[in-house]
Amino acid sequence: MSHHRFFVSALSAVVCIGIVSAEIPVQPRKNPFAADAWRLPPENPVLKPGEGLASVTGNCVLCHSVDYISTQPPLLRAQWTATVEKMRAKFGATLATNQVPGIVDYLATAYGRKDPVK
Amino acid sequence: MLAEETAVLPFLNGVRPLVRYPQKRPLIRLTTRPPQLETPFEVFDESLLTPNDAFFVRYHLTNSPPRADLLQPDKFRLTVKGKVATPLTLSVEELRTRFENAEVTAVNQCAGNSRGFFQPRVQGGQLGHGAMGCARWRGVRLADLLKAAGPDTGAKQVVFNGLDTPLVPQTPDFLKTLAVDQALEPGILLAFEMNGEPLPWLNGYPLRLVVPGHYGTYWVKHLHEITVLDEPSKGFWMDPGYRIPDEPCGAIEPGTTPKRTVPITRFNVRSFITHLPSGTTLKAGKATELRGIAFDDGHGIREVLVSADGGRSWRAAELGREVDRYAFRGWTLPFTPDRAGKLTLIAKATNRLGQSQPMEPLWNPSGYMRNCVEPVEVDVL
Repeated sequence: MSHHRFFVSALSAVVCIGIVSAEIPVQPRKNPFAADAWRLPPENPVLKPGEGLASVTGNCVLCHSVDYISTQPPLLRAQWTATVEKMRAKFGATLATNQVPGIVDYLATAYGRKDPVK
Repeated sequence: MLAEETAVLPFLNGVRPLVRYPQKRPLIRLTTRPPQLETPFEVFDESLLTPNDAFFVRYHLTNSPPRADLLQPDKFRLTVKGKVATPLTLSVEELRTRFENAEVTAVNQCAGNSRGFFQPRVQGGQLGHGAMGCARWRGVRLADLLKAAGPDTGAKQVVFNGLDTPLVPQTPDFLKTLAVDQALEPGILLAFEMNGEPLPWLNGYPLRLVVPGHYGTYWVKHLHEITVLDEPSKGFWMDPGYRIPDEPCGAIEPGTTPKRTVPITRFNVRSFITHLPSGTTLKAGKATELRGIAFDDGHGIREVLVSADGGRSWRAAELGREVDRYAFRGWTLPFTPDRAGKLTLIAKATNRLGQSQPMEPLWNPSGYMRNCVEPVEVDVL
């Protein structure tokens, strides 16, 4: 049946284009007022395991997803310290003073580097 | 759960998921909450107008984008207040019908576009080259709206606020400021359309500021409040946020700290080879075409030179039509590699002021305004 043949050739065309193209069709334009047009994808990024992780997820994640951390290049301890201090002083992160060293330790270990030049 | 497709940006820790958001094709996701999405670079080779569904997304505050119900026509209102004779409250439809409509085709580019290429690396959103795009924006002139409100004689600054909000009250709201004189220039729009469609949710629906030639930080999305002040405003996102060293080109010695800073404002000159991509294999003696884009802050592109030998010799590319002096300018150049080996292709644009692009990257601590040439490596067999 011609219907059937069309389906088969369309499918093989998709296969020939390859995985990337097959997975990324252009999205049909949605009515901006439809309820499902306003739904964001789930928040699924995760951080590396390590001591102090619970304190990071318990504080930082209130305001932002963890990919704000995990996409950074490896940073020096001083840079992570400055970032945590900026979050506390400028952005109003409600960190107890005694929580700061543990958070910096985790970041400098899991997402840090030691050499000063790079 | 289905495995996500990934994109690999060419710097350390550059693996990113490609994720589909509302009204968007899968884009390179930098962050999830608030969302920051980058345009895959191939898109810039497809057309000189960046499609709405591929246009980059950048937010700062937790509650972004604002909830849908706050943005619907029956709910959303723009207010103009502060030091004005006549405060205004308008729906988008009232804006559209009360004021003359105007269009501009203009590039929007994030201040930190290409930050991931900085050496030494700096903190901040680790973007490739995809936090830029060019669209046809339609709306009304900010100047017309301000004149209707009538700024007081002592008015100094105009503050713009969108409906995106912080989660905790201590976090500074995202407010941006223009001087009154600049705000009254005719080129700045309050846009409700992008490439002939309503703005996508993630690009500022239903109304955003369009400041041609200026970095995206000024293009406030979901714009709902304009406040005229008779004193300087003191917002975090003007100071200390979004500032560059008070030096030529905003640049200082890599790894050092600036003595003084000023707000970031206008684009510098940039150009890209969009075809061929890095890693392409060519055949010696076989003709191909190089093409790409160039843009600046609105003086317009005068010349694009292309080198196929790492910068020793240059040929002038043919410039495409100038759709708008703020838009991506296309360029093409027929090219036949004459012998086998590795080739470094470089494009370098110059604008009508004579400003061009450095051969080596400049540096500042925030990772803003990268505009050096971006070489492409190809193999010739």
